[in-house]
Amino acid sequence: MKRRGFIRSFLVGGLVAALLPLVDWLPQRFRSRRYLRPPGAREEEDFLAACIRCGQCANVCPNKCISLAGLEDGLENLGTPKIVARARACILCMACTQVCPTGALAKLAPTEEGVAAVDMGVAFVITDLCYSYAGRTCGACYHACPLPGKALKVGLFERPTIDADHCVGCGLCEQACIHMPQAIRVMSRAELEART
Amino acid sequence: MRLSNAAMGRGLMVLSIGTRFGVLVLICLLALWTEYLNLKVGYGNARLVELSAGWGMRLFYEASDAFFSFFGDAVVVAQKNAGMTWSIRVGGVPFTDPVALLSVLLQGRVPELGFALGVLLPLLLAAFLGRVFCAYVCPASLLFFAIARVRRLLGSFFYFFDLKVGQSMAWGVLCGSLAVVLYWGHGVWTLILPYFAMGQTIFHSIALGALSVSVYSLVVFTILDLCLGLQFTCRYVCPTGRLLGWVGHRARVVVRREATRCVQQCTACADICPLAVSPKLDQTRDCSLCGECLVACPTQCLSIGRKSK
Repeated sequence: MKRRGFIRSFLVGGLVAALLPLVDWLPQRFRSRRYLRPPGAREEEDFLAACIRCGQCANVCPNKCISLAGLEDGLENLGTPKIVARARACILCMACTQVCPTGALAKLAPTEEGVAAVDMGVAFVITDLCYSYAGRTCGACYHACPLPGKALKVGLFERPTIDADHCVGCGLCEQACIHMPQAIRVMSRAELEART
Repeated sequence: MRLSNAAMGRGLMVLSIGTRFGVLVLICLLALWTEYLNLKVGYGNARLVELSAGWGMRLFYEASDAFFSFFGDAVVVAQKNAGMTWSIRVGGVPFTDPVALLSVLLQGRVPELGFALGVLLPLLLAAFLGRVFCAYVCPASLLFFAIARVRRLLGSFFYFFDLKVGQSMAWGVLCGSLAVVLYWGHGVWTLILPYFAMGQTIFHSIALGALSVSVYSLVVFTILDLCLGLQFTCRYVCPTGRLLGWVGHRARVVVRREATRCVQQCTACADICPLAVSPKLDQTRDCSLCGECLVACPTQCLSIGRKSK
């Protein structure tokens, strides 16, 4: 009799927890991934398995660019750190990589080598929108880039071109772009490959 | 002069409310320090902080600055503190919820050393003192404590449903959530663990200026506690509490009963206990040393001390 009650309660508890993913069916979610992970983040699948959503990265970010995902990005992303570059981009201070308790963000130093090891994504220019490509000299992205001349080069009329090998995807160019909507965007390499 | 048992119980209750409030304040401070860091790195000047964020923020900025500068470089020291209760870092020392470690191990990952060592203090504390986390650390239990008071106050005017299910329900929630974690990732814990939901809600509202979904969890827990049963969440839902209760089932320090002074028909201690412990029957598993029964006992036959064999 006692064992029966034990098993019944256990099953009820398990069922309640198992029904929880139903919140993932809430309507009006948009899943076009227009955000970046903090620097040092592992491959997306690996990152999701390692990140325990403790929020320490968002807590130490002096730039307040890391926010935590809600249900709009799906249950599997709930509470994970994200950076929306257009709103506020990463300044590569690497404070978040130092505090991550589970190694979801690999530890990087705020030095030249550390910055070179970052791979948040890669920028690409929408030449149809860019002022410089329309003959109006701008160069805002070039002046925002932490690796000018390496990741982002400019030509005539300050036309930007991206060197994908050097671009770390911090998003400062996207934040700085004076065109609305932005003519330069940063997205993860996998997503860029899927789109082009 | 020895304290009477009731006075000791009252003292413990005051202490437990105080420490839980301390944890709550700490969580709010951690979230506010994100704002402080932002202002420090952005301006680094109290006058500019006042101009951009007001005199209140300036006061907070200057106080935090003085506090952190005492230990060294303010920014570096400030960045040693972070987190929202279930994996938190205070002064560079990490503390981890055992459930977090379980969850990471289940994903087949080798946990980082600091992360794994972070469970030591909570586990040792539970092994020696029992489920003290629930009465002295958990900021969400402050909410449930308040709800239990409301139930007791209004209990003479209204009927409150008081459902009692098995403690194994929390084991079920733990196992079920671990199964869910396998597919949907660790994010579900923000909805299941009451104190994590609390931390998440506070952090979102203070540091990010947004309302987190975890606030719905808090609402659900509140409804459970109000409408389904006394302290329902702490007793039958919270996986961390269940796990710590199991770790502490041989705790050295427990509630003791002087059988000769105990009144036979009285069940005051069992009625008031937030965690469904019955000192009357000498069942002290799950005891969180909150001291409520010491105050409630009419003959003061209960005390807290080392477990007698």
